[in-house]
Amino acid sequence: MYNNFGPSYQEQRLQQLMEQKQLRDFMRMYTNLVARCFDDCVTEFTSNKLGDKELTCVSRCAQKNMKLNERVGQRFGEENAKLMEEQARLGR
Amino acid sequence: MFGGMFGGGGGSQKPAQPAGMGGMPGMGMGQGQGQMDPNAQLAAAEQEMEMVTDMFARLGELCNKKCLIQRYADDELTKAESVCIDRCVAKYFQVNREVTDKLAKISQANQQ
Repeated sequence: MYNNFGPSYQEQRLQQLMEQKQLRDFMRMYTNLVARCFDDCVTEFTSNKLGDKELTCVSRCAQKNMKLNERVGQRFGEENAKLMEEQARLGR
Repeated sequence: MFGGMFGGGGGSQKPAQPAGMGGMPGMGMGQGQGQMDPNAQLAAAEQEMEMVTDMFARLGELCNKKCLIQRYADDELTKAESVCIDRCVAKYFQVNREVTDKLAKISQANQQ
């Protein structure tokens, strides 16, 4: 199909790696989010069900953290682009 | 969701850079590096990806800790938090530059 190490094989492989990586990172982010919201919102164990306050907190926590990630992602992209440009100019 | 992460970092259009040079983040692995062994190239690209996403995760964690002080009073980012996040990311990259430069100077001095 593809001769090994032709440029299209490289691209394909890189694409594959990126997709796998993104999936892994999404899973990691998800489990971290759950842990964080649990840690921040669940403070007592007088019941084995989440109370209203805890439910609201968890909902806001998830929402807020997703928004934070989104914003960090945007700024990261911008800053990274700047960095790449600087490096290209310096010829590093 | 992760689209924004690599968005600004560019891809194959950027000029090709030697792998691992300067230890800086960014997807500098352009096409046209035919001289390099393809396996090494892939490994280098993978490593760079790893580094970038690690940095992104840390950044998220740190800016969360430093900027989301009011634990979930509501579910939107407040103006203060938004501004804080922007500055947090900018400063993080500055620290990255400073540390990289410093390390380069130190290792240069060590070689003399």
